[in-house]
Amino acid sequence: MPSQAATLAVPSITVRRRRRGFRHWTEREPVFAWLMIIPPLLFLIALVGYPFVYGILLSLEDRPVAHAGTFIGLKNFVTNFHDPVFWQVARNTFLYTFCATLLKAVGGLGMALVMNQVFPAKNVIRAVMLLPFIVPTVLSTVAWMWILDPSFSVVNWVMFQFGLPRPGPAWLGNPSLAMFSLIMINTWRGLPFYGITLLAGLQTIPPDLHEAAVIDGAGTWARFRYITLPLLMPVIFIVTLFSVIFTFSDFQLVYVLTRGGPANATHLFATYAFDIAMGAGQFGLGASVALAMLPALAVVIAGLAFYMRRR
Amino acid sequence: MAGSERNIFAGSRRDFLKAAAVGTVGSAFGPAAGWSATKTLSLMHESSFIKAYDQFFQKNLAPAYEKATGIKVNYELASVGGLQTRVATVAETGSGPDLTLNFFTWPFLYNEKYLDVGGIAKEAGEKNGGWYDAAKEAVIVGGTWKAVPFGNVGQLMCWRQDWFHEAGYDKFPETWDELLEAGTKLKAAGHPIGFELGHGFGDNHGWLYPLLWSYGGKEMEPDGKTVAIDSDETARAIDMARKLFKQTMNEEVLGWTDANNNKAWFSEQICCTNNAASILFVAKRDFPDIAKVTQHALNPKGPTGQRFHILAPWSHSIFTHTPDPEAAREFLRWLMQPEQVGAWYASAETYYAPYLHAYDNAPMWSTDPRWVPYRDSIATSHLPGWPAPISRASSESVAKYVVVDMFAKACAGASTKDVIAQAVAQLKQIYRVA
Repeated sequence: MPSQAATLAVPSITVRRRRRGFRHWTEREPVFAWLMIIPPLLFLIALVGYPFVYGILLSLEDRPVAHAGTFIGLKNFVTNFHDPVFWQVARNTFLYTFCATLLKAVGGLGMALVMNQVFPAKNVIRAVMLLPFIVPTVLSTVAWMWILDPSFSVVNWVMFQFGLPRPGPAWLGNPSLAMFSLIMINTWRGLPFYGITLLAGLQTIPPDLHEAAVIDGAGTWARFRYITLPLLMPVIFIVTLFSVIFTFSDFQLVYVLTRGGPANATHLFATYAFDIAMGAGQFGLGASVALAMLPALAVVIAGLAFYMRRR
Repeated sequence: MAGSERNIFAGSRRDFLKAAAVGTVGSAFGPAAGWSATKTLSLMHESSFIKAYDQFFQKNLAPAYEKATGIKVNYELASVGGLQTRVATVAETGSGPDLTLNFFTWPFLYNEKYLDVGGIAKEAGEKNGGWYDAAKEAVIVGGTWKAVPFGNVGQLMCWRQDWFHEAGYDKFPETWDELLEAGTKLKAAGHPIGFELGHGFGDNHGWLYPLLWSYGGKEMEPDGKTVAIDSDETARAIDMARKLFKQTMNEEVLGWTDANNNKAWFSEQICCTNNAASILFVAKRDFPDIAKVTQHALNPKGPTGQRFHILAPWSHSIFTHTPDPEAAREFLRWLMQPEQVGAWYASAETYYAPYLHAYDNAPMWSTDPRWVPYRDSIATSHLPGWPAPISRASSESVAKYVVVDMFAKACAGASTKDVIAQAVAQLKQIYRVA
């Protein structure tokens, strides 16, 4: 009997020891770090890396939907190069991204500075300011459709009260006004993202710096210029980086409001690529239009990364 | 067997275990014929504007087929505007529903993933008085029927009888010139015309291609290889569109998508638009006063003396990946028998104008004479790209709004010469003309 018990006990001890050894192993920092990083990495490879590589391969093929592709090298990009609409789309996208990001940066900074003050019902108002960001874009965009509808537009109604002749401006019908309207709506939607992130940045600035500056006789502008802005710069850069990427690849807003019209005046890379890939079933050409976004975005990202590293 | 496998995977894990257990037992007792037969089929559709139409399939047709054959037919509904992405995904991955609904030129885009259904289509034609030629234009790809045509959601003129009467017109103008004259008067009276010139799916094509064709213009020669858009006929059509825009419309139409003209109609902002019959359906349901003065008419004639309409076909196809093609074919054959297809048409009143001549005088057409133009328009309807053969290239031209934007740019102020030159450049690229 006793010998039997001994033979049983031996393996259970080794298992326990092995388990303890496993736990030790996972608690070593390099191992733990990798364990934490592998799941998101796999996730990124599956949902970003694979589609990205597949997109590059597609862009090098003549690949109609539901039809085997043939490798054609850079021919799709050459086609785009000679496509006047492609260049119009490129101009639109740059204009849209530049104007909307600038407006969001300036407006968001102002919003953050105001929100950083002490005033009644501060938390409630902060929460309300986030609404444009929280409401699903498709829903808020439909609301904008009504706001800008020439027949029902509240904007035009206000203008009529001031004696503007009817019919008022065609906010989405006039090619220039349509782009202007889209930039405004994008700014409206993206402002809270800037505002809240910059607010978080503002709150990390130690108050004693401001107090010291006040004692030294610095005015509001000087304190903003020499304390707030320099200390906020890293946050501003990060938010701008995100904002440029989101704005550059915007789709929903345009798709709901104008679908790229009038006469391509509001077509962006994402909407044009979608129309070509889905509407026309030309996956290869569509992928090449979508990939045309890459160099511009890469320059922005590399520039910002370089800046961050220097600091 | 493959059919029952699909069936199993569609169910829960418990179903799978149960089926596997029964299957094992069954195989032990020899071949079980019942298990190798298809038990379910799936037909993919897009949510219809007419609710009764979808309900008729779910509550009448599917149960009737299950009772007759034991095969359950799932009616998978995609949201409005979402079907094409679904069809493309299913065609690409080779898995999913067995049958699908098509719009526009889809049989030409996905033809390699669709089975030849010529036998069913010919039989349906024989039993239902024959097909309209337009229906054949919509589904025959390189000589093969890749879909069985169903019905047409025509795009016609929709006009306000009361305001036209006030301006001195008791009939809708017969020609574009007369429409220009009437529209000019009506706009002066505060009732502009509203034709979409933006990037919608249908209400822009609905009047612009017919306008081009009725002037004798065309994108490509019938050979499909020679760009033909640069012609005096096209230039005259563009000039007419520009005059119509300047004299009868407001600038907003340039940015319209398909919903805007309906909104403008029901807020009584416009006296005329080009739309599917949905306007009158909605008016009858929600705006009875507007319904009383809403009229439909065929598109006007051009200088060629002809009038044209855009073909907006609905058709059904079978995917090549279906595990049991014969079961899918049997179902589609059954669906197109007069008892089934006739009742399904009738459930949507006249919204899907039948492509089968047997229904030319069906009772549904006498419910309201205002629907009748939707039947009469089929004979003069074509797909965008006509008279060239319909192809991937013609679909690409539509997706890039080549013709729509040619007109829109001219209306926004560009010269006729410039907009034609841009269209030529685009068409050369799309049709790969050397």
